Amino acid sequence: MGRRNVAAASKRRGLRPFYIVLGLLAVIGVAAIGYAVVGRGAGGAALEPIPIEGADDPRTLVERAEGISVGDPSAPAKLLVFSDYQCPYCGQFAAQIAPLLKAEFVQSGALELVYYDFPLGGAHRYSFLASRAARCAGDQGKFWEYHDVLFGEQLRWSSSSRPPLDEFEAYAERIGLDRQAFATCLRSDRFADVVSANRLLGEQLGVTGTPTLILNGRRVMNWSNYAELKALIEREAGA
Amino acid sequence: MSVAAVDVVEGREEAPPVTRMGIAILSLAGFFIATYLLLHRLGVVGTLACGADGGCAVVQGSRWAVFLGVPVPAWGVAGYALLLGTALAGVQPGLAGDRRVAAALLALSAVAFLFSAYLTALEAFVIHAWCRWCLASAGVATAIFLLSLPEIRRLRRG
Repeated sequence: MGRRNVAAASKRRGLRPFYIVLGLLAVIGVAAIGYAVVGRGAGGAALEPIPIEGADDPRTLVERAEGISVGDPSAPAKLLVFSDYQCPYCGQFAAQIAPLLKAEFVQSGALELVYYDFPLGGAHRYSFLASRAARCAGDQGKFWEYHDVLFGEQLRWSSSSRPPLDEFEAYAERIGLDRQAFATCLRSDRFADVVSANRLLGEQLGVTGTPTLILNGRRVMNWSNYAELKALIEREAGA
Repeated sequence: MSVAAVDVVEGREEAPPVTRMGIAILSLAGFFIATYLLLHRLGVVGTLACGADGGCAVVQGSRWAVFLGVPVPAWGVAGYALLLGTALAGVQPGLAGDRRVAAALLALSAVAFLFSAYLTALEAFVIHAWCRWCLASAGVATAIFLLSLPEIRRLRRG
């Protein structure tokens, strides 16, 4: 063996600790990536409405649909709100009008406010997922808190280039929900049937845009004028 | 006879530079970080371990997450793979003093550093959200760049 080969072999032996460190890092990296892929996969989060069997029958639809209400169920005035979490006007209603209604009528027992999902789809591509997310939060008793966060962060998650699963989970954690339980719900088809039924119910009731408000069976046309809305509710409540 | 062989015969062959070993190890770490982010981007990894503020998702979901039509993490995967390959070549006996390796390492690490600085500035001033994995990658790129600075001396000496 020549001098050159001896020197090269010696240097290769000197590289052994380096290769060991590199190999260990490679093993750790591959294992971590594998865990991330297998353990926290995308799952089958339902992103769009599903067909509802028997939806042609209004009675079936009413059974399958499920609003989330706040206030006394025996209140003289009942306001149904069909809403889409990606709709800016719905955000306006949630931020500006709903708090006034809750403070002035719901707390006094004069009004029951019932939220129904009406995900428009199309450009509002995540509104169905958002509706499901809010209901997943409802599983843990925080539907309204999550509802408010979704509208508050609407601009942020709506602009996501991919389904905002991570954002929704982060919001859940922010309001004190069990993130793992929430994620399990979100990354499934849970509530896909209820949200789909809510939307179909809205269609049956003639809802074409959001938000649509129906007060004791009559559509409220100018909801953004609080004085008008207030007068309508007072009349229905017999105040 | 090659330059390297002459060096060996004359007893002037350099020992494999420790800085290049460091670059190789850091490049592998960066490669895994970028791969993780890329898999998330492709929907293979559903949730990024990123804390409660959702910053990674905001950054990854922004329009800045694509550069020249290619997802930024894919650039990272390619860049770190190139750096790893070059650094591994650079530690081989006979290539320690090779100017081409020195030039490639210096150029690649400078591009990685500047690109990371650009992305970090976007997070700070445009997106207003922090992705801790992106910051980790930026830290790795910075460390690699610092470790590549001795290559300037090798280039001059050559």
